Amino acid sequence: MNATFVPPTRFSRLALKVNAFLLIALLLGAAFIALVAYKQGWFVHQTRIHFVTPNALGLNKGMPVKLYGFTVGSVSGMELSEEGVDVRLSIMSEYMPRIPKGSLAKHSREGSVVGAAVIDIVPGKPGPALAEGERIEFQPSRSIAEFIDDIRRQAVPAFNEMKTVLGQFKGSGEDIAVSLHSLRKEMEALPQTHRELRKLITTAERTAAELSTTAQGTERAMANVERAVPELTTKLGGAIESIDGAAQQLRKTGEEAQGAIQKARPVLERGDAVARDAGEVFNAAKRVWPLSDSFNETIDRELPIDSFDARSKAPKL
Amino acid sequence: MLMRGGDLEGAARQYGEAARIAATVENADSVASNAINQSIAYQWMGRDADARDALARVLDDPRRAFSERRRLQAELRRAIVELSLQNPVSAATFAERAAQRCPNLSCEYAATILNVQSQIALETSRAADAEQLATRAAERARSRNDRAEAANALRMLGKARRAQDNAKGAIQPLEQALAIDRDLADPRKILADLTELSLASSSAGNRDAARDYYERAVTVSRALQDTRGLAEMEAQLRRP
Repeated sequence: MNATFVPPTRFSRLALKVNAFLLIALLLGAAFIALVAYKQGWFVHQTRIHFVTPNALGLNKGMPVKLYGFTVGSVSGMELSEEGVDVRLSIMSEYMPRIPKGSLAKHSREGSVVGAAVIDIVPGKPGPALAEGERIEFQPSRSIAEFIDDIRRQAVPAFNEMKTVLGQFKGSGEDIAVSLHSLRKEMEALPQTHRELRKLITTAERTAAELSTTAQGTERAMANVERAVPELTTKLGGAIESIDGAAQQLRKTGEEAQGAIQKARPVLERGDAVARDAGEVFNAAKRVWPLSDSFNETIDRELPIDSFDARSKAPKL
Repeated sequence: MLMRGGDLEGAARQYGEAARIAATVENADSVASNAINQSIAYQWMGRDADARDALARVLDDPRRAFSERRRLQAELRRAIVELSLQNPVSAATFAERAAQRCPNLSCEYAATILNVQSQIALETSRAADAEQLATRAAERARSRNDRAEAANALRMLGKARRAQDNAKGAIQPLEQALAIDRDLADPRKILADLTELSLASSSAGNRDAARDYYERAVTVSRALQDTRGLAEMEAQLRRP
């Protein structure tokens, strides 16, 4: 019996295969680490600048730094200093020529109020760029109270106008009451006028009768007048009765209107007070953050000031 | 509402009446706001002299307590109107006064002021200054996300470069201005961009591109029914 051990053919060159496997795994691991480092910007040269702020509320390590809305770096660190908090920024060196001396770092939010907090670089006048380790001025973000004050300043003129209009409306109500009072006086005088008209007609009848007896030459004409006068008198009598009825109706209406005005005056006064209260409530509601974005009327009232309007009538060659 | 509906005459009248009423209740801010709006409405009607007179309510009344912002707006508007009236010296005076009310040129109207100053420089044959001012205006406008003024600044930059015989360098900013103005859908500015692009392409020796921009400008001008503008543009393009 042959005792020589013959290894299975599938294990031939096993060490070589294992080494090749380990080498490939090592290469893949290295490539992955290199990719992560590239994505994290480890291969990009960074320039460090810093600013000092009285407090670091809202500032975090890793917060993006933007120039014209484009991310050019991040907050790399913060530490307490004698003046407050020293905040260090790491900026990609290729963008440093765009950040001249005199530039400003602002703490702001994307989308004005509700977006993510960022450090926004506002470039200064063209000139030499900031150097490594140099300090940049910093402007903290505006607080909600400042936004509310802005809105309040814009809303106050509108409510003043509303108050003026209400005051004028109240004044008009008083004018109407005076007019109706005068009208009522005139209507009260109407029955007296009616009685005087009756007297006048009676006198005219008598005069007509006297004329018929004294004027022989005008007898025929007077006969006609005599025929006409009774008919006219009947018609006038009817008309005067109608006027009398209308006058009584007008007097009644005037009295009712005056009563209504007297009742309406307190309502108007209450309306003024309610409008004032409503104005205050509305004003307060407008200051509440979720609603504040919805009130842009006062801003819309301003037409845009556009430098395009300054153009010459035709382009110059 | 009247402005949006195109009734400029009615809008100007209403703004004037509103300013008068505001004066009776001593509301200085409303007086200034309505006077400035009236000036804009008059200028859009082509009545530049009336636009200048409307601003007198703010600029010629030192006793009324107008805010710094309103005074800045009125002075800036006056500079714009003076420039439109071909008075660059007076325009420069008012633009400087407005700039002094805008600390470090970092206020909301910084880009507009710089654009007006750039145009004044171009009108007074200082094309290099105009280019520098337009570049700063573009930076300011971008930092405030003010697309309309950014497009105005890029258009001014193109004009300034063409005035310095750098027609090739003018093409890129003008194309950027055109892209923004098309987004903003403002036909007057699109027409101005296309006309400038046609002139710049022609100066750069690219006659095919010049012809293409010219034809597009003619189409926009006809759609705008701007016969006067069309005639002026054709006259400009026919010059050697």
